[in-house]
Amino acid sequence: MSKGLQDIARELLEKGEVQVVVGWGAVKADPDRTRPILVTDPDEVGELVWNPRCVNNLAVYLTKAKSDVQALGKAAIVAKGCDVKAITGLIQEMQFSRDDLVIIGVACKGVVSDGSLWQGELTEENRDLKCRFCDVRTPRTYDHLVGEEVPPVDAEDDWKDVRELEEKTPRERWDYWQEQFERCIRCYACRQACPFCYCTRCIADKTLPRWIESGQHPRANLAWNIIRAMHLAGRCVECGECERVCPVGIPLNLLNRELAKEVAVEYGYRAGYDSEAPPPFATYREEDDQSFIR
Amino acid sequence: MARIGVFVCHCGKNIGATVDCERVAGEAAKIPGVVHSENYLYMCSDPGQLKIKDAIRDKKLDGVVVAACSPHMHERTFRRAVAEAGLNPYLAEMSNVREHCSWVHQDIEDGTAKAIDLVRVMVEKVKLNQPLTPIRVPVTKRALVIGGGVAGIQAALDIANGERDVILLERDPSIGGHMSQLSETFPTLDCSQCILTPKMVEVASHPRITLLTYSELEEVDGYVGNFQVKIRKKARSVDMDVCTGCGVCMEKCPVKKIPSEFNVGLSMRPAIYTPFPQAVPNVPVIDKENCIYYIKGKCKVCEKFCGPGAIRFDQEDEIVTYDVGAIVVATGYSLYSVGEKPPGSTIAGYGEYGYGNIPDVIDALQFERLASASGPTEGHMRRPSDGAEPKTVAFIQCVGSRCPEKGITYCSKICCMYTVKHAMLYKHKVHDGDAYIFYMDIRSGGKNYEEFVRRAIEEDGVVYLRGRVSRLYRKDGKVIVRGADTLSGTQVEIAADMVVTANATLAQPDSQDVAQKIGIAYDKYGFFSEKHPKLAPVETNTAGVFLAGACQAPKDIPEAVAQASGAAAKVLEMFAVDELEREPTIAVVNEDTCVACFFCKRICPYSAVEEKEIKDRDGNLIKLVSHVNEGLCQGCGLCVVACPSKSIELLGFTDEQLFAEINALAE
Repeated sequence: MSKGLQDIARELLEKGEVQVVVGWGAVKADPDRTRPILVTDPDEVGELVWNPRCVNNLAVYLTKAKSDVQALGKAAIVAKGCDVKAITGLIQEMQFSRDDLVIIGVACKGVVSDGSLWQGELTEENRDLKCRFCDVRTPRTYDHLVGEEVPPVDAEDDWKDVRELEEKTPRERWDYWQEQFERCIRCYACRQACPFCYCTRCIADKTLPRWIESGQHPRANLAWNIIRAMHLAGRCVECGECERVCPVGIPLNLLNRELAKEVAVEYGYRAGYDSEAPPPFATYREEDDQSFIR
Repeated sequence: MARIGVFVCHCGKNIGATVDCERVAGEAAKIPGVVHSENYLYMCSDPGQLKIKDAIRDKKLDGVVVAACSPHMHERTFRRAVAEAGLNPYLAEMSNVREHCSWVHQDIEDGTAKAIDLVRVMVEKVKLNQPLTPIRVPVTKRALVIGGGVAGIQAALDIANGERDVILLERDPSIGGHMSQLSETFPTLDCSQCILTPKMVEVASHPRITLLTYSELEEVDGYVGNFQVKIRKKARSVDMDVCTGCGVCMEKCPVKKIPSEFNVGLSMRPAIYTPFPQAVPNVPVIDKENCIYYIKGKCKVCEKFCGPGAIRFDQEDEIVTYDVGAIVVATGYSLYSVGEKPPGSTIAGYGEYGYGNIPDVIDALQFERLASASGPTEGHMRRPSDGAEPKTVAFIQCVGSRCPEKGITYCSKICCMYTVKHAMLYKHKVHDGDAYIFYMDIRSGGKNYEEFVRRAIEEDGVVYLRGRVSRLYRKDGKVIVRGADTLSGTQVEIAADMVVTANATLAQPDSQDVAQKIGIAYDKYGFFSEKHPKLAPVETNTAGVFLAGACQAPKDIPEAVAQASGAAAKVLEMFAVDELEREPTIAVVNEDTCVACFFCKRICPYSAVEEKEIKDRDGNLIKLVSHVNEGLCQGCGLCVVACPSKSIELLGFTDEQLFAEINALAE
């Protein structure tokens, strides 16, 4: 599979269609892992790999906030279906235009969050949690596709994990999240890994007024985690990078998916599917339901 | 250190009864930064205002908190007083201890404690208040009136007679609107056209009015005082400057079988036509969809017979642009079609009434044409099916209106009165005829309206039956009306010669498109929303756009005309000054931290957010940011909420100020 990818990348670079390819590369010191790499020289496309260890969502590198790939010239990005959803969302949010980017889509049967789990075969056990409900195993949009098209997962219930959470009483849920957020060390890895956290000055860094207290007071942790989740409501594409990078193992994607379900139910909207769709929380409609205002 | 003065108002007993104002003033004096505190019976009175002015001068105050009623009531009063004492008016705030406190509490201890909190909160806010300067925008002293019905005509004439230029826009070939179709008007029974046509003629000849008929609104850009409007002048296929209005073309046109819009299908018109003889302008248009030349490329009979040579088959639509300072929307209403559900409509039809299938079931507007001296029967009562004089006529009210099952919950307001009028006109024309009116309630509020109803019942013998009609069907040339008389508790069956339905008054079918073009709000029925139902019934939430007539809600002629004159007065008020002053409490963008997601632009109801390019000295684009047009911004704050990086602030309501208020409460 890596071979097909390398051929596409070489051609794009040689023809000058792009100046940089954002992809995954091997880690020499640890063969179980892959890492994000930027390839600008056609002779170095051999570095590119594609396998179930390629878990990172590379869309994060497309915005100025994280790494200004755009400054290197026109970019091609290697992207799984979930990554393409993030790209679609970023186009919708006007961070770049579709014409500025070549998407090398990869057909994906799932990835592993820990590379050592995959030793040549994907199973129900080692496949990552986020891949259980995947309906974009073939990316919804791409310029080149690596591999054969893969049909979406036929999940019985797209929101099984969320429903389990919802079965708890509000008190139990509150306690559950309090317990989770108590462990937060406010390293902001979740923010750094998220393609949608592209603000150059995060609300967490604003001091006048200070929206979120600094330090690891439980109240401050709660404020950060709620604000993070709310800022992503209706935008998060559930790629699960925040949860993967969290050093203390907070199930952040579960919280994201809870909000995504609310948006799906209340607004009939799923993020990352259509760059032309109006985002539900950034749309003014006279006919919006206001019955809850009393 | 701040130097703030606190002024606690008793509002007589309004506040004083449930808030110990003296104690509030005493507690306020202890707040750090408060250097003056007092209470008084009526702060809004002249002596009350004088206390504020004196304290500003004597104590060198740099902030004022007036604890009194809602800022909606007296904020202007106090800000003006503060300004007169030489302080920036935006350094004064009101703390609402009446509506939000004394009026909702019974216990004086509770009320006082809450009032102290409310004052404390506002003191902390005022400490962070910045002096603001009202935004000044120039005014283009020309108005656009959209809609040439009686409301639009009245508004245009009033503005023009106030010596300001007006563009009157009408999409039909002639002005006049629905009123020109009416026979006589309630409650005086004067002829509708007789009272309307003089106004139409005045419009046409007024030097201040530019009349654009057969033209539609394309686009509205800009903001209060500075709108740019694009108008599509549809091709008439007739040269307006050459045509003399002789009418020969209409006589000679071989197409004769097009249902007349003006006569609501009760007569036929040619393909080249004026809607009615008194049309203004009296220049025909060619209906391209039905003209043989436009369909088949051959005919040109009108051209051949046109003496002055005014026919222009090659005429094309023209887009014209005007700068205007104010817009009056007077687009009127449409009538509910009780037949089949119109495509795209959410409102169900009335299949059980057989409208469209039974020729002698007609709607109210058709009856108007039937009763009108200028109508297809020249005012003689002739039913459509066989032209016979109907001896029994049933009138059905509330067809659609007040009927949640059909999707309309509101009362159409005008039908009670026009149905009385219809029955009366009928009785005046057919002395031996019987008129029955099925009604739910008779709503005759209005000057001389109830007397008019009594006259119909007592002098003209109109029979009112309180109940609904379940079904209409044809039998032996009659229309059988089956209904209920709920007052006698019986079923009623009337063999009528003709049935007239008082169909609900709806918004224009394209009212939502028009609203979106102009940027004004509308309700779920498509009627345009006024700014305030009681205190700003003519204004919209978009500054510089006013409403007149039935486009806002069902209205009769006197109401439509009154509102039109109101709208005109508002326009003239705007045009009385060279520059408009706008509240400076608008949104501003921090361009350093803006990441150009443009959620603000998407969410802005007023289209006030624009994209702005930030360039370096050499003109290279550094980045895009959002920019708030201060002429358009209404200070609603939606963009502030939508901004994920908190890069937008609402002046006068900054996050910092709101935090200070919350923190004061949390202390």
